Amino acid sequence: MTDQYDIVIIGCGVIGSSIAYHLSEYKQKRILVIDKGFPLSGTSGSTQAWVWVHNKVPKWYGELSMYSAELYPFLERKIGDVEYKRTGGIAPFFAQTDRDKALRLVEEQAEVGIKVEVLTRDQVLEKEPALSPKIAGATYSDMDGNVNPFRLVELYIKAAKRNEVEFSFYNPVIEMVMEKDHYKIYTKNKKDAITTERVILAGGPWSKEIGELLGLDIPIKQVRGQVIITEPLAPFLKHTIGGMRQAENGEVLIGFSKEEVGYDRRTTMDVIQETAQMAINYIPSLAKANIVRSFSGVRVIPEDGFPILGKIPDKKNAYIAAMHSGVTLSPLVGTLMAELVMEGETSICLERYSLKRFMNYA
Amino acid sequence: MDKSTIVCRCEEINVDEIEGAIRMGASTFDDIKRLTRCGMGPCQSKICMNLVRELIANNLGVSISEIPPPRMRMPLKITRLGILAGKTSSSNVVSVFDEASLEAGER
Repeated sequence: MTDQYDIVIIGCGVIGSSIAYHLSEYKQKRILVIDKGFPLSGTSGSTQAWVWVHNKVPKWYGELSMYSAELYPFLERKIGDVEYKRTGGIAPFFAQTDRDKALRLVEEQAEVGIKVEVLTRDQVLEKEPALSPKIAGATYSDMDGNVNPFRLVELYIKAAKRNEVEFSFYNPVIEMVMEKDHYKIYTKNKKDAITTERVILAGGPWSKEIGELLGLDIPIKQVRGQVIITEPLAPFLKHTIGGMRQAENGEVLIGFSKEEVGYDRRTTMDVIQETAQMAINYIPSLAKANIVRSFSGVRVIPEDGFPILGKIPDKKNAYIAAMHSGVTLSPLVGTLMAELVMEGETSICLERYSLKRFMNYA
Repeated sequence: MDKSTIVCRCEEINVDEIEGAIRMGASTFDDIKRLTRCGMGPCQSKICMNLVRELIANNLGVSISEIPPPRMRMPLKITRLGILAGKTSSSNVVSVFDEASLEAGER
């Protein structure tokens, strides 16, 4: 028996599973999603999962994030409760000199309709009384929020399954061969090749290795982020704070660190301690909270920081979606990639996000 | 075992929920954890670790030795955030040298 599909998606994180679900809404194609591990074992399962808009710059990147955040309530109607909460987001600053930068952000984002406010210390403390009075101010937007990443990916997969998408987990892709009108994909668990008309690379931080199978150099970096988690606390944080959030069950997730250490996912004492200090600088009373666990995730950051989306130049019927902030962007990226594959064009122009920008054309 | 038997006491996850995750393809403790929250509570899977591994082994028809244990992370045991941040407020640790007093009658 040959395994023939119209579309194969490599990678079942928040982006791969969202693309699969949105493609499956057309109910026209035979779709397979392959993952080297199990969903949520990688980047999508080790995140604070902010749906964060307000300081994504330049404004066109902010706009992309805004449209995606606005899709969440509707997405929830379609796939089920992913615990999306539009909490509003606060990004505190500690020096009065940062206020100028904050005001410039307000102007930049206003051009695309993202409403950002600059709060004074008193306004910050009125919104979040637990925050430190040493804070000088903050930028604020009611567009930011957060979501439960575990529920999100699980429900993308379940909704896609209802639309007859097939999944193959613990099955790394080891070879890809481009033939005249299809791709042959060899995986660890199957002797015979899987053949597909189209292939979509959604490997997140592992996009580099997957790209190499097609002879591509995908310009991304792996960046480790470490997070600490408190025991469940009585609700005291209403907003998503740049750096931390309180989950529905009362746990507070804290952390905002960046280290380029490849695929190393260990947590390290130095970053954990700095993270604890950051927590106390923001919220002094957290010093008394108990920490239950730390975790770390490998994020993907394209070389220039912006999403890589769209058709792969010079490879027929091959597509890529690799980006930081996949949780924020997944509803929109899934929608747009499905449009691109099914209709050949997208309702928001993806030209500037093409892999082409990294390639040197003679 | 009854399907409603609680396996993870911290998060109150029962046999049925764990077997549901296994049916979805989960084959390690951590796979199940991320789908169900089993093992994510205060004890960090110290109680449910082997119960869950046993359930996986039984459901997949393999030996429990083939099921990897969950990933352990700092701080291993619940720890005050302030302590992690380096706040040292304890004054109970004293110097042995200072304990000794050479002045007659002081002790």
